[in-house]
Amino acid sequence: MPDTPKFDKGALAWTLPWDDDWVTAVAVLGPTRRVAAGNNLGQVLVWDLPEKADAPAPAPVRRLDGHTNVISRLLATADGRWLISAGYDHTVRLWDMSASTKGTALVVPDANARAAAKKRGKPLPDAPVTVGLQQAERVLEGHKEWVQALSLTPDGKVLVSGDDAGRVIVWDVPSGKETRRWQVKGWVYALAVSPDARRLLISERFPLVYDPAKIIATKLWDATTGQVVRDLEDVFKKDYQSAAVFSLDGKLVAVGRGGEVNGPSGTIALLDAATGKKLHELKPGHEYGVTDLAFHPDGKHLASAGRDTVVRVWSAADGKLVKELGKARGGQFKDWIHAISFSADGRLLAAADMAGAVQVWNFPA
Amino acid sequence: MRPFCSPREHLSRRAFLKGTLIAAGGATVPNWGGLFHSSGVAAEAKKSGKRCLLLWMNGGASQIDTFDMKPGRATGGPFRPIASNVTGLQVCEYLPRMAKMADRLAVVRSMRTSEVDHPNGIYLMHTGQRPLVNVSHPELGAMVAKYVGNADSDLPNFVRMGPTGNGGAGFLGPQYQPFGLDREGRLPYFTGPYASPEAEQRRDDLLRFVEEGFAQEHKAEPFEAHRLAKEKAWRLLKAKSAFDVSKEWPKHKERYGDSEIGRGCFMARRLIEAGIPFVEVGQDNYDSHADNFVTHKANMNVLDPAWSSLLQDLHELGLLQDTLVVWMGEVGRTPGINNRAGRDHFVHGWTVVLSGGGVKGGVVYGSTDADGKDVKDDPVTEGDLFATIYTALGINPRAKHFVGSRPVWATPEGARPVRAILS
Amino acid sequence: MPRLRLVVALLAVPLVAAPLRADERPLRAVIDAEVRAAWEREKIPAPALADDATFLRRIFLDLVGTVPTHDEVKSFLADSDTGKRGKLIDKLLDDPRFALHQADVWDQVLFGRNPPGYDATSNRDGFKAWLAGKFAKNEPYDRWARALLLAEEDNSTLFYVQYRDQAEETAVAVGRIFLGTQLQCARCHDHPYEPWTQRDFYGMAAFFARLVVVEAALAAGKRRFLIGEKSSGEVLFTGSAKEQKPGRKGEPIRPKFLLGAAPEEPALPKDFKEPKPEANKAPKPAFSRKEKLADWVVAPENPYFTRAAANRLWAQFLGRGLVHPVDDLSDKHPPSLPKLFDTLTVELKAHKFDVKWFIRELVSSTTYQASASGPVKEALPYWFERARVRPLSAEELLAAVRAATGFDATGDKVGGDTVAYVLRYFGEPSDGRGDFQGNLGEHLFLNNSEQLRRMIVPRKGNLADTLVKSKDSPEERVDHLFLSVLSRPPRPQERKRFVAHLATPGGRPEALVEEAIWALLNAAEFRFNH
Repeated sequence: MPDTPKFDKGALAWTLPWDDDWVTAVAVLGPTRRVAAGNNLGQVLVWDLPEKADAPAPAPVRRLDGHTNVISRLLATADGRWLISAGYDHTVRLWDMSASTKGTALVVPDANARAAAKKRGKPLPDAPVTVGLQQAERVLEGHKEWVQALSLTPDGKVLVSGDDAGRVIVWDVPSGKETRRWQVKGWVYALAVSPDARRLLISERFPLVYDPAKIIATKLWDATTGQVVRDLEDVFKKDYQSAAVFSLDGKLVAVGRGGEVNGPSGTIALLDAATGKKLHELKPGHEYGVTDLAFHPDGKHLASAGRDTVVRVWSAADGKLVKELGKARGGQFKDWIHAISFSADGRLLAAADMAGAVQVWNFPA
Repeated sequence: MRPFCSPREHLSRRAFLKGTLIAAGGATVPNWGGLFHSSGVAAEAKKSGKRCLLLWMNGGASQIDTFDMKPGRATGGPFRPIASNVTGLQVCEYLPRMAKMADRLAVVRSMRTSEVDHPNGIYLMHTGQRPLVNVSHPELGAMVAKYVGNADSDLPNFVRMGPTGNGGAGFLGPQYQPFGLDREGRLPYFTGPYASPEAEQRRDDLLRFVEEGFAQEHKAEPFEAHRLAKEKAWRLLKAKSAFDVSKEWPKHKERYGDSEIGRGCFMARRLIEAGIPFVEVGQDNYDSHADNFVTHKANMNVLDPAWSSLLQDLHELGLLQDTLVVWMGEVGRTPGINNRAGRDHFVHGWTVVLSGGGVKGGVVYGSTDADGKDVKDDPVTEGDLFATIYTALGINPRAKHFVGSRPVWATPEGARPVRAILS
Repeated sequence: MPRLRLVVALLAVPLVAAPLRADERPLRAVIDAEVRAAWEREKIPAPALADDATFLRRIFLDLVGTVPTHDEVKSFLADSDTGKRGKLIDKLLDDPRFALHQADVWDQVLFGRNPPGYDATSNRDGFKAWLAGKFAKNEPYDRWARALLLAEEDNSTLFYVQYRDQAEETAVAVGRIFLGTQLQCARCHDHPYEPWTQRDFYGMAAFFARLVVVEAALAAGKRRFLIGEKSSGEVLFTGSAKEQKPGRKGEPIRPKFLLGAAPEEPALPKDFKEPKPEANKAPKPAFSRKEKLADWVVAPENPYFTRAAANRLWAQFLGRGLVHPVDDLSDKHPPSLPKLFDTLTVELKAHKFDVKWFIRELVSSTTYQASASGPVKEALPYWFERARVRPLSAEELLAAVRAATGFDATGDKVGGDTVAYVLRYFGEPSDGRGDFQGNLGEHLFLNNSEQLRRMIVPRKGNLADTLVKSKDSPEERVDHLFLSVLSRPPRPQERKRFVAHLATPGGRPEALVEEAIWALLNAAEFRFNH
């Protein structure tokens, strides 16, 4: 288990521009200095980060082709070998990052910024980047709707995915085989699997606004039977929960409130994973809603991101705020940080910025 | 001699006689609008036999995410088009059942309207007119009630349910006011009696007795209008079971979908069947300034079965040929997707869908440019749309009314019906 | 030229109509003579005079906005004085309710049921109190009309608040209400029937272009509106609707009286800058256009003002305006009785806009007091050959229900929800033309409202209670019921029928009395003033 870095000294190390469309998902590939990000168009790019934090921002090295619609989630196995992606094209894809690329393509990750500069009469010199192309090792096709939720056990063996038809599928990663599936009432919004793959937290939605047919639910499930263990309605009332993650020891589960909420009500609850009892509510909440949660590999800290363009690091033991990264861009029309991911050593945090970039934050030891 | 004869709401003498006959008989026979009506009176009262059903997409549905898709464009969003049963007309993947009924639809893709916000837009798209400080225009429902409605029906001529327009009869007067059901289809206030049936019968008989005596000497029209309205209220209260669909609903729930719009569309079908000439059913949730796509997906999820079952049933009942079904909201939504994953209000090129009585099926009228940022061909204004709707219903779009001495026409100056989609 | 004709008519009246002067014959006699002459000409049989009971209810509703109580009806019917109608008129004109009721009437003229600027104009209690004060003092109409247009007195400001920052709409409203003109047609194109051009319209609008509504905060969450006026600011005229192009700036139009001169307006200093608005303070201009306009509107030479007033007051009591609709004094609508119209105009001016005097003359005429029965079907007969039939306003209806049921004797107050429902269901009973329409909502309320029922059922001191407890004969109790609710004794058949009803076997007396009162309250006879 890595040491806790100096969160208070955290600083933005690199901004990796990618402005074709919103960057919607991000994953740091375990112990490597490799980061993958996905966007609204279904593209995935991979960058290799320099060793030194003061080195210039790198260019992408790979492009992972195959998805045809929004990338909703990216996850990586702890060893950094496998990248797992989920998308609105109804598929989940497994990518072997140790495989070599086949063919190349030219990409311009900041094409829109360049077009804008040209429009202002200050064109930049052309700088296309050559990237290696890669296809998925496996395409998991059990879903018939947008796959919005994805969770992986720390050993990288069990993957759970959920879609907007309410279908939950448990996968055996090594074989790529479906081991169990069942149906929940609403659409699967957030999903977290416990490290032992026995528990699932699933939040559901059917996002009608006024219609009583809307569905809002958050429940703990037994992943081995597909039965509800505990309905958490008493904890979460009628609030949508948009992100969830278990702590590495499986004792805690963090759940973040999202969709678009009013003001700073995008709060995070830390629950006792065994009982579902709320231990802490992390405040201040993210303005307009939480988008993603990630436990730090030290097992003691939790990071959160939201529709306020801010990343926060919290102490899991007492629920206190440790560090805030980035600034709220504010106003009604703002961007989101869609997703966050820690490196295996806990020294880097990558954030998917809707404005068209991947932010990489560095925490000194 | 009178230099000018003012047009007047004529209360049918025959209708009033019917009221007094009932009074003399003592018992009220529910009169189910056009269905169970003696042909003579029906022919007099039902001017065109047409009906109109407005499916109101409250907040403004997104045209790009429904009937004017822009696949592969930056404005396209994550929904994918599917083929319909009309060559060349693609619709959103989340309207699979409507795709199979496209041959009954007239899709107008070139709405360019003049009010971009909700209150004014709701007024505009219910009246065809921009709001004026001192003129309260009648909503479509009131116009249909006046020109197509059966003045002699037991049931109201203008019924609405759920999130709909909030105006009403305007200067056409209280006779054409809507009868509003709530979201669950419950009846409005003051439709439940506090008196026992016997007590009601006694007091009603007493009132009829007083009215008969007074009427012998007092012939002024307002007296008659008052008595007629009372008789109509009594008949409505006797016939109000028409609004109770709880027995049939379980049988149809699966097909229409167990949602407000599903139940609303089923109720609308029943009311149209019962001879009510105008029913408006609202669906909420469209104002997706944030999270447009999940909201629209959920909306279409419940809309698609409701709308398609309604059209199917009306068709099978032989009513669709006389029933104009209008699908619209107060605005469209921007082609641009904002950074709350939302789409905002948009009036420079949006879509309205008509079907049934008076319009052709399987046609697309007008178009927007590649990104949907403006109308490319054949713009249609709110006035044009209302002129089209009125023409389809057999109502003169230039019908003249008065507010005091100020003349006001059914549609604004220059409005032209879209002949290309009229059958 | 319509304008010339108007002016000529005005000048000519004193000469040709000299015999009609009121100092020789009271105005009421002139009215009756002119109307009678029309009947003869049109071969219309003269109607009977309304009986005492009918007259009593009519005059109560018209002058004080409610129906007489049981005791008032009884004593008036028993009074054998041949001058009792005149005495009653005098009494009611001096009744404090007269002023309150006229304020209600004018409130609807000036605002209507749902005026623009709802948030600010829905509560008009202060404004109505101001108006009632004018009627209580019998302030001449031209004086209070001017005060209303100046909007400088406390509580006098709400009229303009409806049209905040809308000079054109203000001009339309002022023209329609005070001048009987329909200016709005000239807004988008030159008027088709009148000699007004678009420029004339914008010339009138220019008088209001500088008005500002200032919202002054008062304690306890109350608001007060002040009407101020800036020293600069113009209406812009962009040409006819057809010529308008997006982005084209309009031409500023100077104020000009309708078919009159332009007031001389001192030029502003070159370097003039409009002072910054101050909180809670209405700006005062160096030169007030509003004042010029107010003076012109009520000036004796104004060809429109007096005619509009005479016509409106006539219509209030006689039903149909001599020119109808009441606010469209155009050549398209010649008066039905032109000579009488001229006389009314001359006399109203000669009596210095003494509204009370004018109303007294109108309601003292036999024309006003004509019978309500007969074969004529129109609500507002063209030749006044039957009393007009008008629905009670929401205010009148509620007051009449209270009086009829003896509600106030219970010591209870009418609930806010009841008032709101009555306004909703009885507030606008007419179409755009002012024709009454029976409507469903009204009857559903009458049939099934517990709020209304609360006023009917026996409660200590009210009518039902009195009838239930009464030791009188059944016939006497039915008489009491009819006198209380319909302000008349029952006809013999009615008496018989109601006596039988009250004796329904097995019926609870409380329930039977409640049903009887309900039936009369629901009758057309109660719903209208006739």
